[in-house]
Amino acid sequence: MIEIHDLHKDFGDLKVLKGVDLKIKPGEVVSILGGSGSGKSTLIRCINGLEKITSGSIFVDDFDVRNKKDLMEIRKRCSTVFQQFDLYPHLSVLDNIALAPINVLKQNKKDAKIKAMELLRSVELEEKASVYPAQLSGGQKQRIGICRALAMEPNYLLLDEVTSSLDPEMTAEVLVILKKLAKEGITMISVTHEIGFAQEISDRIVFLDEGKILQNLSKDEFFSDEGGKSDPRIAKFLSKMGNQ
Amino acid sequence: MLDPAVMMEYMPAFWDGFIVTAEVSILSIIGSFIIGLLIALLRISENKVCRFAALFYVDIFRNIPFLVLIFFAYYGLPEVGIYIDAFWTGCFTLSIAVAAYVAETIRAGIQNIDKGIIEAAKSFGFKRVQIYTKIILPIAITSSIRPLGSVFINLILTTSILSAITLGELTSASKIIASTTFRPFEVYMFLVIFYGVLTFALSAVIAGWHKYLNRYNEA
Ligand SMILES: Nc1ncnc2c1ncn2[C@@H]1O[C@H](COP(=O)(O)OP(=O)(O)OP(=O)(O)O)[C@@H](O)[C@H]1O
Ligand SMILES: [Mg+2]
Repeated sequence: MIEIHDLHKDFGDLKVLKGVDLKIKPGEVVSILGGSGSGKSTLIRCINGLEKITSGSIFVDDFDVRNKKDLMEIRKRCSTVFQQFDLYPHLSVLDNIALAPINVLKQNKKDAKIKAMELLRSVELEEKASVYPAQLSGGQKQRIGICRALAMEPNYLLLDEVTSSLDPEMTAEVLVILKKLAKEGITMISVTHEIGFAQEISDRIVFLDEGKILQNLSKDEFFSDEGGKSDPRIAKFLSKMGNQ
Repeated sequence: MLDPAVMMEYMPAFWDGFIVTAEVSILSIIGSFIIGLLIALLRISENKVCRFAALFYVDIFRNIPFLVLIFFAYYGLPEVGIYIDAFWTGCFTLSIAVAAYVAETIRAGIQNIDKGIIEAAKSFGFKRVQIYTKIILPIAITSSIRPLGSVFINLILTTSILSAITLGELTSASKIIASTTFRPFEVYMFLVIFYGVLTFALSAVIAGWHKYLNRYNEA
């Protein structure tokens, strides 16, 4: 379980998160929506400790993000997929996937590579195992990014606009994989601009507005006219994103 | 008047000089790389004192003429009781001085790495040391092979200055040959070609190495 309580995050004078309360239960798929600059990425980056929180608390399976030792444990349990892929350029696809399991989880090299190969097969990229990231298309890179995250067998998958740098065709090939994962019951926190995708996979939608949670509703409620859409800010956001 | 045949007789003397040049070069390349790497790491350290000390080091050694440095080490240090022979004085001073350039080159390589890649590694729970050894340094060093190559070619050329402390390397061997044969034109012409071939060969090796190490960048 991820428990976020009264989370504040400032960058100098700029207050980005202003008291966020959020609980995510195992198995839940939560999509975080919100306008540009509302603090979605910052929220994700606070969970995996890439940003130091200003005040409040985040606990992941009772590990405290503010505690250095706990943070290492949290990072083993939460894997992130990044918008810009951020694969390790100097390593082959297979090594990209196996590096953290070998060095962080101390898995046996051979087993880690066998598992990496299985993951590659699941995203239909096993023939790319020995290729370097620079030789892949964006969609392929992101499928590898997902494999790299899954190789850690994380309890939580954090996704920050993982299709935003992809064209529609590549977006589709990545979304297919994520939908499958969502169905398999992995816990997912996904920041996305793909409203249709959020609607399809999510159990819950969290709408962030200027650093605060404006709505935290079950998917059906969020997309109903009496629920989320009754809020003019959400209605405006959804219509802007091309969802009527 | 040009008589290359004169040179043949003195080949063994040239060769001895070349061996010394090669030994000093290789040892100094290794030495300057190790020291330079450490200085580069200090340069980007989170500790202010370390950063300052490393910057000081780089500034000092980039701003002292090498000849002055080598005179100081060879003729000055014995005055305070530190005696090192010409060979090792050459290796140490070259390593220490060139390390300043190596450090700046590697630092540039490190700072050019996409921050996202390092954050990704952090997010997966790698320890700091692992991030350096598995991600940052391999990327930084491969991407700076070419500039490092230029630094090391410069190092090889700088070994000629060691003739000033009577180290019997290639240049001082040539000086002696020139003064015994009274044929400075041929001797120094030969020396010019020799250094030329040496650095050209090294450039070619570096280019090949660069290509091999950076194979992952080819789309
Ligand atoms: N490291 C930083 N230093 C200073 N300001 C930052 C930093 N990171 C983010 N910000 C600011 O915090 C605010 C929220 O940024 P964040 O990236 O979380 O937004 P977002 O909701 O993810 O937006 P987008 O949809 O555009 O990705 C923005 O105003 C941004 O400029
Ligand atoms: Mg963002």
